[in-house]
Amino acid sequence: MKSGKKIRTRMRRAAGGMLNTVIVLAGYALPAGADENLFGYVTGVDTLPKGASEVYLWATDRRDKGQGHYAAQDYRIEFERGLTDRLTGSLYLNWRHHDIKGAADVDESGKPEYPDVDRFGFQGAQASIKYNLLDVYTNPVGVALYFEPGYSEIFKITGQEQQELSLETKLIVQKNFLEDQLVWATNLTPEFEVRKFDGEETWETELALELTSAVSYRIAANWFGGLETRYHSEYPDWPDSDLREHYAIFAGPTVHYGAQRWWWTLTYLPQLTGRPVDEARDEDLHLHEHEKREVRMKLGYNF
Amino acid sequence: MNERSAFLLSLTALAVSPACYAVQYLSVEQAQALMFPNAVLTPLPMTLTAEQKKTIEARTGTMVRQSELKLWRAATGGYFLVDQVLGKHEFITYAVALDDSGAVRQIEILDYRETHGDEVRRPGWRSQFAGKTSADTLRVNKDIQNISGATLSCVHITDGVRRLLATYDVAIRPR
Repeated sequence: MKSGKKIRTRMRRAAGGMLNTVIVLAGYALPAGADENLFGYVTGVDTLPKGASEVYLWATDRRDKGQGHYAAQDYRIEFERGLTDRLTGSLYLNWRHHDIKGAADVDESGKPEYPDVDRFGFQGAQASIKYNLLDVYTNPVGVALYFEPGYSEIFKITGQEQQELSLETKLIVQKNFLEDQLVWATNLTPEFEVRKFDGEETWETELALELTSAVSYRIAANWFGGLETRYHSEYPDWPDSDLREHYAIFAGPTVHYGAQRWWWTLTYLPQLTGRPVDEARDEDLHLHEHEKREVRMKLGYNF
Repeated sequence: MNERSAFLLSLTALAVSPACYAVQYLSVEQAQALMFPNAVLTPLPMTLTAEQKKTIEARTGTMVRQSELKLWRAATGGYFLVDQVLGKHEFITYAVALDDSGAVRQIEILDYRETHGDEVRRPGWRSQFAGKTSADTLRVNKDIQNISGATLSCVHITDGVRRLLATYDVAIRPR
């Protein structure tokens, strides 16, 4: 057990060192430029040309559970490579920070469902491929498929240590209007997860089903502005049961700026409604597994 | 320094990192000299009327973003036009040389600021436009071949040339 923890600690340190080195190199060694990542949560159908590469930094801030203090940040670095003109491969490394004080539900004995924490650590890794079936510039509609297997060792909601294996799949549809000045994209994302918390013996299965849709308009040279929407639901006993445990709907503005090789996207996504609710926290939002608001920033460099 | 501090420091370093660059392959004067060697070019100021814009848009299925044409007449015959089309984020500036019958003699890319897709500068791709007139289809994957990995640039430049040829027909061609 101890040696397992030592290995994890070494992995986290190595991954942290790699992240910081890549961030600095991305800024100073690469020329600046532009890319197609117009949205924070929604993915478009474009793939990188063969041999082209890109580095992304993601930071997502999630906060406010309507009780106590809850702030969590998800950090991700992504390396993306055009394997062919239609097939892009990516590798992701993730970190997570939780600052939780009194945000958990308490049982009758006064014990919180999860403990207060203030911790930053290596969360896990994923790999993905995206295949462009129909390009959006010469077809009425663009279509792409996306597959992302992953591993996570920090639970997103509570910050607890866990082992989680996941497979995220995505059907991506995109339609452009006004000579590609107005972009609409929609993703249907089923994600299959198996999870075991540290100290527990049994693995839980879960299906997360997400539908996201967004529009973005080129408002000036280099600038896009738009709206993103996100429906997220979970089916914890799937495939034995198709009972939906909860859902939440988010919507908010997104802004994208692209220079030549350098771009950023900022999306603010408050929760509009969700079920079930805990009225002590909020009358219309689901705050057990989601937060009142999320903000996501992405930075990208092409080379 | 702990992990979080190092991470935030790296983000700061990234934020102040070097800015972008722009590539100008040809100035307007250089393009004129290349496309009309030894010819004197005279500016021919022209502004499209609302009706002309409507006609061009209806004939080509493109948007006329600029009413004022950047147009020159060559003393040796022919016309020189400078135009812009949208890239992914920035405008792509290109020039088209037409002969007196309104057929394309040559196209050149002047400014290209996008990360990918600059294969449209290849002579082989640009030479597909030679001889095209407003009577041609001028569509990518029909009479203009696409370059895989540079589709957006191919489509937008092809649309731009189709619009300029219709512009010649509607507004420039001597009556």
